[in-house]
Amino acid sequence: MGKFKHIEDFFKKYKWKYILGIFVLLFVDGLQLITPKILGYVTDALSAHTLSMKEIFFYAFLIVLIAVFIAAFRYLWRMLIIGSSRQLEFWLRNKLFAHLEKLSLNYFYHNKTGDLMAHATNDINAVRMAFGMGIVMMTDAIFLTASTIIIMMVSIDIKFTLIALIPFPFVAFIVMFFGKLIQKRFKRVQEAFSNLTDKAQESFSGIRVIKSFVQEESEINNFAKANEANLKANMNLVKVWGAMSPLVIFLSALSFVITLYYGGTLVIDKVISLGQLVSFISYLELLTWPMMAIGHVINVLQRGIASMTRINEILDTEPEIHDDDNTLDIDNFEESIEFRNLSFTYPGAKVPALSDINIKLEKGKTLAVIGKTGSGKSTLANLLLRLYNVEEGSILLGGYDINKIPIDLLRRKIGYVPQDNFLFSCSIRDNIAFADENMPFEKIEEAAKITSVHDDIIGFPNKFDTQLGERGVTLSGGQKQRVSIARAIAKNPGIMIFDDCLSAVDTKTEEKILSNLKEVTKDRTSIIIAHRISTVKHADEIIVLDEGRIIERGTHDELVALGGYYSSIYHKQLLEEKIAGQE
Amino acid sequence: MNNFHEEEVVVKTFDTQLLKRLLKYAKPYIGLISASFLLLILITLGDLARPYLMKIAIDDYIAVGNKDGLKNIALIFVAVITGSFACNYIQVYILNYTGQKIIYNMRQELYSHLLRMSLSFYDRNPVGRLVTRVSNDMENLNEMYTTVLVNLFKDIFTLTGIVIVMLRMNAKVALISFIAIPFIFLSALIFRKESRKAYRVTRVKLAKINATLSENISGMKIIQIFNREKYKYDEFFAINDEHRQASLREVFVFAIFRPSMDLIYSFSLALLIWYGGGRVLQGALPFGVLFAFVNYIDQFFKPINDLTEKFDILQSAISSAERIFMLLDQEEEIKNIESPKSLGKVIGKIEFKNVWFAYEGENWVLKDVSFTINPGETVAFVGATGAGKTSIISLIARLYDIQKGEILIDGKNIKEVDKYELRSHIGVVLQDVFLFTGDIKGNIRLNNQNIDDEKIKEVAGFVNADTFIENLPNKYDEKVMERGATLSSGQRQLLAFARALAFNPSVLVLDEATSNIDTETELLIQDAIKKLIKGRTNIIIAHRLSTIQNADKIIVMHKGKIREMGKHQELLDKKGMYYDLYLLQYKE
Repeated sequence: MGKFKHIEDFFKKYKWKYILGIFVLLFVDGLQLITPKILGYVTDALSAHTLSMKEIFFYAFLIVLIAVFIAAFRYLWRMLIIGSSRQLEFWLRNKLFAHLEKLSLNYFYHNKTGDLMAHATNDINAVRMAFGMGIVMMTDAIFLTASTIIIMMVSIDIKFTLIALIPFPFVAFIVMFFGKLIQKRFKRVQEAFSNLTDKAQESFSGIRVIKSFVQEESEINNFAKANEANLKANMNLVKVWGAMSPLVIFLSALSFVITLYYGGTLVIDKVISLGQLVSFISYLELLTWPMMAIGHVINVLQRGIASMTRINEILDTEPEIHDDDNTLDIDNFEESIEFRNLSFTYPGAKVPALSDINIKLEKGKTLAVIGKTGSGKSTLANLLLRLYNVEEGSILLGGYDINKIPIDLLRRKIGYVPQDNFLFSCSIRDNIAFADENMPFEKIEEAAKITSVHDDIIGFPNKFDTQLGERGVTLSGGQKQRVSIARAIAKNPGIMIFDDCLSAVDTKTEEKILSNLKEVTKDRTSIIIAHRISTVKHADEIIVLDEGRIIERGTHDELVALGGYYSSIYHKQLLEEKIAGQE
Repeated sequence: MNNFHEEEVVVKTFDTQLLKRLLKYAKPYIGLISASFLLLILITLGDLARPYLMKIAIDDYIAVGNKDGLKNIALIFVAVITGSFACNYIQVYILNYTGQKIIYNMRQELYSHLLRMSLSFYDRNPVGRLVTRVSNDMENLNEMYTTVLVNLFKDIFTLTGIVIVMLRMNAKVALISFIAIPFIFLSALIFRKESRKAYRVTRVKLAKINATLSENISGMKIIQIFNREKYKYDEFFAINDEHRQASLREVFVFAIFRPSMDLIYSFSLALLIWYGGGRVLQGALPFGVLFAFVNYIDQFFKPINDLTEKFDILQSAISSAERIFMLLDQEEEIKNIESPKSLGKVIGKIEFKNVWFAYEGENWVLKDVSFTINPGETVAFVGATGAGKTSIISLIARLYDIQKGEILIDGKNIKEVDKYELRSHIGVVLQDVFLFTGDIKGNIRLNNQNIDDEKIKEVAGFVNADTFIENLPNKYDEKVMERGATLSSGQRQLLAFARALAFNPSVLVLDEATSNIDTETELLIQDAIKKLIKGRTNIIIAHRLSTIQNADKIIVMHKGKIREMGKHQELLDKKGMYYDLYLLQYKE
């Protein structure tokens, strides 16, 4: 049962609904057993001509009465059991999403979005089916089979019952054997389907590249491969699954033949009455459904288990980054930052991204980081946001070890502008007010003004209520960057991190934003990661990173005077200017 | 937020046109479907024979004590069920095969259709929704083809068969048994309407869940950094809750309908016993016939029950089909005209004549833009963000169509040439570099097998991407994760250069491509570009003026209009907007 440990809480809550539902279901099953008995009695009485019209009416009425009860109770168990299974779907999907939110970034780099989405829809569906119709069919199969067989043996004939039911064990065997095969092949179907979903997801996201490079035909061919793999996986499943149900029907019909032949002989020999034979056949009929249900239930349950296992893989993934016993009980810290002999290697990487970083940044100061692509600049930001864990004592904030600061507090205090400017598909207003849904409009407006995106927004017909597409497609790259900066500023954080965030804005806008930002960063501790000298030169300290190490540090003037890497970039930029000026 | 994901629940009646269209896809498999049909008839006959054989057994043999006759009937019975079993398996296999084939084709058609749609279509439709159409909605259709298409006739055969057999055995008793029919159909009708409504809402909500999920997973970094887990969870909870409500409504509809069908069955059983029993008492009806009737009634209800169950499937399939067809019916907005002109060898003259363009409505992004780029010229577009520079390159490749004016390449209106040919001559490096899951090599050559490994190394070396690639554990075979998440943006940029280069285009477009690269690498790239731009028409969009001072022509854009045009020095002398931009960049 370890497989279901993640949904135990749900069953604790819905225990009574399930128990009551199963109880009602059993009651319906019991009621169903009465009707064949009536049919048998009527048959015998008819044959013996001992029945009056009044009695016939009475029995007909009885059948209807039982049926009314059955209908009412069936409504009840459907609402109870199937209803609960829908609640389970809801509950599990929320749980999965909440868990995904806790997982660290690394996890999302290694797991495809499409895959994760398949878990949240298809797999949860399969689990829901198992705990809805699956439970109903299982209960029916067990109870109805057992009680019917007992009644047949007691009220008709033990030997007859045993002989008529000879095909049953074969049904059990076939179901077991096929069930295993089906589970295996079903898993392959799910995988093929998930692969197909991924493929579609990726092409639609990268449609611009596909179109620009006229890759439509080739992409269609690639998709055809995934499509075909899906077809093959399905047909492999059908080969076994398609045989199971007819085989079960065949065996149940075989049991019918035995009944007819052997039972008929018994009637001729006057061992049992014709009425008993009729009841027997009716009971057998009642058995057909649970027998088929066995086949189906195994299918549904196994799919459910397979899906549960896949969901468990996610739920069992421990969040790498979380508060623990060592987390301090603090609600604030001074905005000073210290890196002490910080070295860091990404999980799975061989080369460290950062080595021996030592920086002391006092409250209110600005640090600029410059360096080549891949020199470790963004890693610095990622670590400061604790998207990855670092060694104890290597990053200190306000004197506290970063690992001991509540994550919530840490991230609340940092305003971060990412490189990729991810915006959500909601209004511009909601994007800027992302940190706080109750943010007053003045603050939103102010943030937009500081980042010089206000005029752009006012230019849209719906102004701040303009909806953004899935990835903010209606905005230009520069506008996206500025909204993204506004989002961080509106948060009013004590520490600001700008990760190469002015790259897509033109020089005029950059100049304007920078002078506005000077006001914003005056009292804040800031880290500016950039490529342009113009962006970094006013910082209190500038460090130059190369292959994860600090190779130069100082103020702009110092670094220029140093004559190293920084000054060479600076001079290259000056040189460009000079050469350009000569023409 | 809502308006964006929500799809209107289209209320359409169960229209035959839709069904016809669905059947059209089955047409190529008419042979297999016929075979499956034939097998079905055999299976149905087998099903019908069973109660009849029982009637004979009871009335003709058991009642008179004829054991030999009973034995013969039993043997016939065995033969019938064995035959049924074989037919059943073959039929299931054939039918599933057919269904899978049809879905394969439809899915391929939908996917191809979607890939042909223009970018403005993708601006309007979230990826999650489109993926749902290609994946889940198609699965629903698959179920329809396998469960409904042919098996529907099985139910109809069975029903007709039973009616005929019953009428022939005893017309009066048969008619009494048929009283239930109107009730069954009435309740089926109500059920159909209700469950369809419930089902539609559920599917719309599910699509919404998918879209939200997809976005939140992509934006997880931002959610976590901004501490918005709780807020986003609540948002997701609300959407999930909407789905739950819809789903519970579905359960309710089924809970009402299914039991009431059984109730009607019991009513007619009671009716049969009351009337038929009376007839038996009067000696007007042999008992075996009554018994057969009880059996037939049971068999009679099964197909009706199945029929309504198929409605369930049909409903989901119909609403899926509606959504799919809605997409298929959206015309390609950017179409090739009939017999488009061939471009032949492109010399690369590009002209914009009074071009007006808006992504939507009257929201003009470009207003009356005119310019000419001569073959082999390098033209730089400068201006503030949002000035319309990016739109211009999308228009040259005809990723969007303009509303007014015309765009000419080598003197031919781009609307009159083959758009694929057009695009194949234009190499684009986009602002957002999109990488595909696969490896480094694959991302450079994309799917073009003519670009061999040698060529890949050559172009990578050319744009100085080789240094970082050689440092990767598997070099050119290094796996690239979804969207290239494991590479830095500079590395992604370099790959994009290599990719554009590999395709050796006549017209090269660089869209602010140098912005994410440090000065050193940028100088290397500029060096590469210098070699690269020879013999091509080049359009460079950059905000760093130094990179474009070598341009033959500079076009200064502002709020969708061309403000200034000319050579660097001319523009500087003019002391206009360009001069301002220039001063801003270089002043101390």
